[in-house]
Amino acid sequence: MEGTDCCALQLGQTVPDFTMETFDPGKFGFGTVSLEALKKAGKWTVLFFYPADFTFV
Amino acid sequence: MADLADRHEQFIEAGAELITVSTDTQFVHLAWQRDEKLLEKAKFTMAADPTGTVSRLFGVYDESKGLALRGTFVINPEGVLLASEVNFFNIGRNVDELLRKLKANIYAAKHSDEACPARWAEGEKTLKPGAEMVGKVYEALQ
Repeated sequence: MEGTDCCALQLGQTVPDFTMETFDPGKFGFGTVSLEALKKAGKWTVLFFYPADFTFV
Repeated sequence: MADLADRHEQFIEAGAELITVSTDTQFVHLAWQRDEKLLEKAKFTMAADPTGTVSRLFGVYDESKGLALRGTFVINPEGVLLASEVNFFNIGRNVDELLRKLKANIYAAKHSDEACPARWAEGEKTLKPGAEMVGKVYEALQ
């Protein structure tokens, strides 16, 4: 398959843990976010992907 | 994104953490959020995926462009992926629909014998699938 990855997750599957560097506008600071920490906090997670900063959204 | 910023409180109230992701770094996220008036009220976490690792995991990474498609994903507190929607680069999303799906999933998680019918919104009638409902969905919805 061209363009996107061939073996993405499907609904009902468990998402493997991931970690990303973050900017938190609320605290005006940098940090990290991990799925493991969100799960430990009992949170639902909503991921909202978009192509690029400084563009029309 | 401005639409998301306006409705962020509703995600928090529902018990969800809203994280926006692009392949930009956290430093560019800061610069954009600080400079763009539309994002003045943004309080959600802005995550950086410059290697595309997380975007690939969810199948939204365009290898030829190095950018992520407009993918939206809902994961429950056990880490199970329960909703996904992907739009192409040039089509925006509907935050109302995202909130509707999030709330429906949270409701269904708490009421495992019920299902949320088409266009279900918080407070509306749900269905209890079972033998007696076969061929009688119309009656069940009344």
